[in-house]
Parts: sequence; structure tokens; C-alpha cells
Amino acid sequence: MSTLMEKPPFDPRDDSLFLDEMNTLTRWHREGCEPFRRMWPCEAPAKSLDALPFVHVGVFKHLLLQTSGAAHQRTLLSSSTSGAQPSRITLDDRSSTLQSASSLSILKALVGNDLRPLLVLDDVAALRQRGQVSARIAAAMSLKPLASEIQFILARGTPAATPALNVPLLLEILSRHDRLLVYGFTSVLWQAWGEATGRTPELAAALRGKTIHFVHSGGWKKLESLRVDRSTFDAALLSGLSHDSRVIDYYGLVEQVGVIFPLCSEGFRHAPRWSAVLVRDPYSLETQPEEPGMLQLMNVLAWGAPYHNVLTEDMGRLIPGECTCGWRGTRFELLGRVPKAEVRGCANV
Amino acid sequence: MSDHAHTFTTDRETVSVILPFELDSWIAQWSSLRSRMISGPPEEFTRDEWAYLLSFLDPHGLEDVFHQTFGRRTTDSAPLSSLYRPRGPAAIWLPNNASLLGPLMLILVSLTGSPVRAKAGSRAGDLAGAFHRYAVQHLAPGPLREYLASQVTIEQFSRDDPRNAEMSARAATRMIFGGDQAVRSVDLLPHEPSSRLFGFADHRSEAWVHFDHLTDADVVMLGRVFVIYGRAGCTSPARVMIVDGSIDQARALRDRLIALWPRILPGKPPLHVASQGIMGLQVALGQGWEAQPAPNHSAVLAAGAIELEEPPGFWALPIIPATFEQCLATLPANIQTVGHALRDPHNARYLTAIARTPVKRYVPLARMHHFGPVWDGWNFWKELFEVVQIS
Repeated sequence: MSTLMEKPPFDPRDDSLFLDEMNTLTRWHREGCEPFRRMWPCEAPAKSLDALPFVHVGVFKHLLLQTSGAAHQRTLLSSSTSGAQPSRITLDDRSSTLQSASSLSILKALVGNDLRPLLVLDDVAALRQRGQVSARIAAAMSLKPLASEIQFILARGTPAATPALNVPLLLEILSRHDRLLVYGFTSVLWQAWGEATGRTPELAAALRGKTIHFVHSGGWKKLESLRVDRSTFDAALLSGLSHDSRVIDYYGLVEQVGVIFPLCSEGFRHAPRWSAVLVRDPYSLETQPEEPGMLQLMNVLAWGAPYHNVLTEDMGRLIPGECTCGWRGTRFELLGRVPKAEVRGCANV
Repeated sequence: MSDHAHTFTTDRETVSVILPFELDSWIAQWSSLRSRMISGPPEEFTRDEWAYLLSFLDPHGLEDVFHQTFGRRTTDSAPLSSLYRPRGPAAIWLPNNASLLGPLMLILVSLTGSPVRAKAGSRAGDLAGAFHRYAVQHLAPGPLREYLASQVTIEQFSRDDPRNAEMSARAATRMIFGGDQAVRSVDLLPHEPSSRLFGFADHRSEAWVHFDHLTDADVVMLGRVFVIYGRAGCTSPARVMIVDGSIDQARALRDRLIALWPRILPGKPPLHVASQGIMGLQVALGQGWEAQPAPNHSAVLAAGAIELEEPPGFWALPIIPATFEQCLATLPANIQTVGHALRDPHNARYLTAIARTPVKRYVPLARMHHFGPVWDGWNFWKELFEVVQIS
């Protein structure tokens, strides 16, 4: 266990301790993962975070990286759009333990310790792929330690483009419980719950006064196309619920499993004690103290493959100074994805 | 439009080509558009694409289409052996990603005066439509403008649209750019028995060079033919073979390309290209390539052995030392163009060996992207005409 995880996620930390742990982890991957060693042959420990070797997030779509010495269990697959190749992250025992502890610690800081039913907006069939786990299921299962029971509440057989709730099941759960935890991919949560619950008088009545913590992750692109902004989204979900109910939007990616970056009360995202965030210029790869650039995410949890230090295709900006929300840890703003452009050419692309 | 007879001759025969326009005037009208195009491209085109279109519309180049096909122009009254007349309506299915093939094909077919109906990809930008609109808007009133406005139609619709069958049924010639499956599906559409089909299926190309023969100008040209579409271009080199070369030469060529890169691609590429450049570099290194980034991560230049798996991405260029026999043995089945910078490219050993491969074009590096009346092994432009034998 990392000593950095002995304190709450958003407490202050000794940066040199984080650098030491990252150097140790980097050496481990360099010794055990040949492709990583070929990418970064220099063996000297880094003297600063920006000098640590990183892996571009797209590499995981093309190479199955594994570090020898880890007990590999299964492969985590990213969600992929329009038939694109998914990322493949190999999970191992040691990292899984750390990742579970990490996400639990962060989530406890947001939703408290008490156990309550966890409702997952997904199809239970998604759990049944042997040896592989989808990103959505992995995200939902990170909430499992806070759950007294788990229910999958999407109606089976509905098209993926128009997800719908299993209303009888939800009504049955609401008849037994006043406090619930709900996890869904952002667009699924909106389509299946945000839009739907207000349209069903019976469901609206059953929800009235209940305390629900909604936890969601995933991009806003689909909602932007539907012209749904964050305040509309939150208001629709919280309508009729108790004042203790909350909507928690977190940023995370399969290639950084175990670390999530929730929005604080001031609207910023913070890096937990056992992680770090840098921003790099996409052309020079120089780090950017305040200007927008590509986000680089690090953590000390990943032992099975070198996904401890990942250059993402998400654009962001570091926010200097301490946050008035009370959390410590580098704070940043997420600005969206690296813009894509049409590939031109005549080959079959 | 009234018909005009134009006479061409070779050592073997003299033929008359009947066109619904006067050829010199037609070419002069295209040339007048060229003068207007010099002021800069519309937003749909990159500067490189626009520059290529400008050079394609060079009057000598357009005349050369006729010379290459029928011989030199003549006013001599030698006995004719054949009359050529346009076959009639042409239907063109363009690929599902934007490329210059659309505008180039449109210009070539315009030189027959036949009506054109083209379908641009439904999931892509439409450069053919953009060029057509530009030409109609900027040409002075006259026969060419009238032809483009009234007899050329460019539409975007899906492969399931009933207009595909209409296009096919009315066409005397059908040209399809796309994968093998797309070619087969167009061939299955209703068509006249006499209608000709030209399937330009998915291809890739490569460059063969002798390291010692390469000048800086050749290296810059190699970079330029690569960067216009990267490996997404069917005539862009997907790899560079250093014929009878060594790994040291591959490294040296990689380093020369990087040193000359400001002449190849000045400025910064789009963000996503830089990001893909970083990814491609790391994957190539992980695979065992000796890879280096081009400035601003606009490409990955990777020296390595022929056995290595090719690095991913459109902007990664493998540079491989190989014997001539290895070059031949590892040609992809869908090879289109081999661009050469060899000491003696027309050496009989090379030509006879290439004749036994599926290579469709074997041209200097600078001509790799040059579209013309012969393509993918078809003398397709000549086939847009019907021949009447005269004796």
C-alpha cells in the first residue's frame, strides 16, 4: 500500500514522496515491460514530475502492455465509439487492491460511509464477459463497497441509443429504501432517468423526498447535442428529492482506473494525494503552468502495466492557487477532447 | 453544343475525335479559371490540394490527356482509320473520405463533354461538389460554364439510396472508387449491357530509393508526397524501401527527412495529428522501430527491419532497408504505385520483375500523386469514347 493513501484523498501531501513512489514504479515497469523500456530507455530517476516517462493514451489501443512479475487477471476494455479499437488495460491483483482502495477513499469523501442500495444504469449482461470488463461496469463496481445490494435497472432489450428504466424494479426498490446510490454513464443517466422520471407520475411520486447520490462519468458530447447543460442536468435529476441529494460528476479514464477526479464545490477537479496532473503543449511537449494543453495523469497504483503515467487526449488547464473548497491537490479544468478532423485520402479508412 | 472534329496522329494511325466543343477554347476556359484560382482556395481545400488542382489544370497538361491517348494534334489531311465519339453519360461513385480524386475525375470527364452524375461519400466532406460550385461561380459565361451548370450533378447520399440504381441505369460508363465490396455492389446495380464499369478499389503505394542516389530535393519530394494525406492516401508512400541498403542508411534517411522537414511541412499540424504523432512514435518504439518524431510531432519517421510490424496511424512512415527481391516479395496485394528514386529505374531487371507483380504505376517520386487518363492499370479515359472503324 502506498503511504500516500494513509490519509484522506484531498489532504496536503509531500510532493517528494510522490516523486519517489513514481520513480520506483517507473523502474519496476522499465525492468518488466520491454515495449515501455524501448520507449523510454534512460534509466536515471527523474528529478521532477515532468521528467517522468509517460505513455500516450492511444498506445493502449495498439499494444497490450504487461509488466512481468504482476499477477495478471483480466483485461479492462475502454468504451469505444463507432467501431474504433478499444484500449486494453491488463488488471493484476496488487493494482486492483490499490485501485479499489483509491476509488473507495475518494468516493467516501463525496457520498459518506453508509451502505445503501447501488442502482446501476446498465444491463446485467455486461458483467458476463469472461476475462474482460467494460469501462462502464468497472466504474460502477468501484462503488460496490458502499452498496448494501446492487441492482441493474436498465430495462433489458431496449436499444442502446434509447436506454430506458426498468420502472417496476425501481418502484419496488423505492418502496423499501429512502437512501440510494445511483451510477450511470452521463448520457445514459440523462436519457434513462433525467428525462424519464418526470414523465411518469407514479415514479415522480415514489421518488419524492428520497435521498439519492447520483454518480456519473463520461463525456458531455451527446448532451451538448441535445442542448442539455450541467444545471439543467442536475436540476432534472434532483427534482423532488431531499436536500441531501447530490449529483457527482467525475472525470476518469480506463487508463487511470482507480483514480477519479470529481468536481469540487467551486467547479474544479482535484488530483488526490496519490495522483498528479500536468498539462503539456501538444507540439513541444513542454509542461504548461496555466495555458491549455493535453492533460497528463499519474498515479502510484498501476503495477501490472505502465498505465501509471498517461498522456491523455483530453484538453485541460491547471488552475493556480489554493481552492476555497478546502480540498488540496492540484486543481484543473477539463476543456474537452483534442478536436478531431476528417481523415482525407483515398485509401479505405 | 455543336460537335467539332479534332484530328490526332501517331506513327501508326490518324484518328478523328468528335467532341461537343472546340478543344482549344474548352482548355482556354479551364485555364481562365486557373487564373482566378491563384487568389487562394475556398475553405474546403487545403493549400496543398488547391496547388495540385492548379497544376492539374495547366493547359499543356490537359492537352496532354489527348496526346497521351490519341497522339499529337494535326491539321494534316491524312486518311483516318477511326472516329472516336463520347460514349455518353458517366456515373461516378466517389470514396467515403474526402480526396482530390473527385475534382480530378470531374475535370478529366469534362474533357469528353459527356454528362456526369457523381455521388460523393455520405460520411465525408465533398471536394468534388465544392470544386464544382467554385467553377460554376467563377467561370465567365460560356460553353464550359454552361456544361458544368447543366450537365454535371454532384450529390451526397448513402449507399442504400435508390438514386444509386438510377445513376447506374442511365450511365454509359460507371466509375467507382472504394473498397472491393463497394465495387461489387455497384456492379450489381441495374445497367445497360454496353455500360462499362471501372472499379478503382482500395490501394496502397510505396517508395523505392537508392540511398546514394538521393539528393536533398528527392528527400524533400519524398516527404511532400507522404504528408499530403499520410498513409491514408492510396498514392502516398506507406513505406520507403531502401533498395540494397543498410539500417545505417535507413537511420540516415530518417535524420535527413527530419532535418529537411521545415521545407516539407512548414508550421504546425492540426492538434489531432500532433497527438497521433506522439502515439505513433511510442508504439513504433515499443514495436522495435528506431523512430524519431518530425518537428511538432507532425509525423513519425521509423527506421527498422522488414520483419517489424508496421506502426499504426496515418502519419508514421517506416523506412526499411531491403534487397530488390525483398521489395518484390513483400509488396502488398493491393499495391498501386511504386514511386522511385533509383539510379537506373528503367533497368531491364527491374522492369521485367515489376511486370510480374500487381504494380499499376512505376513513376518518379514527384509523379506519385499524378492522376491521369490511365489509372489502376485501366486506360479508362479512352474507354469513355466509342470507336467507329473507318476503311
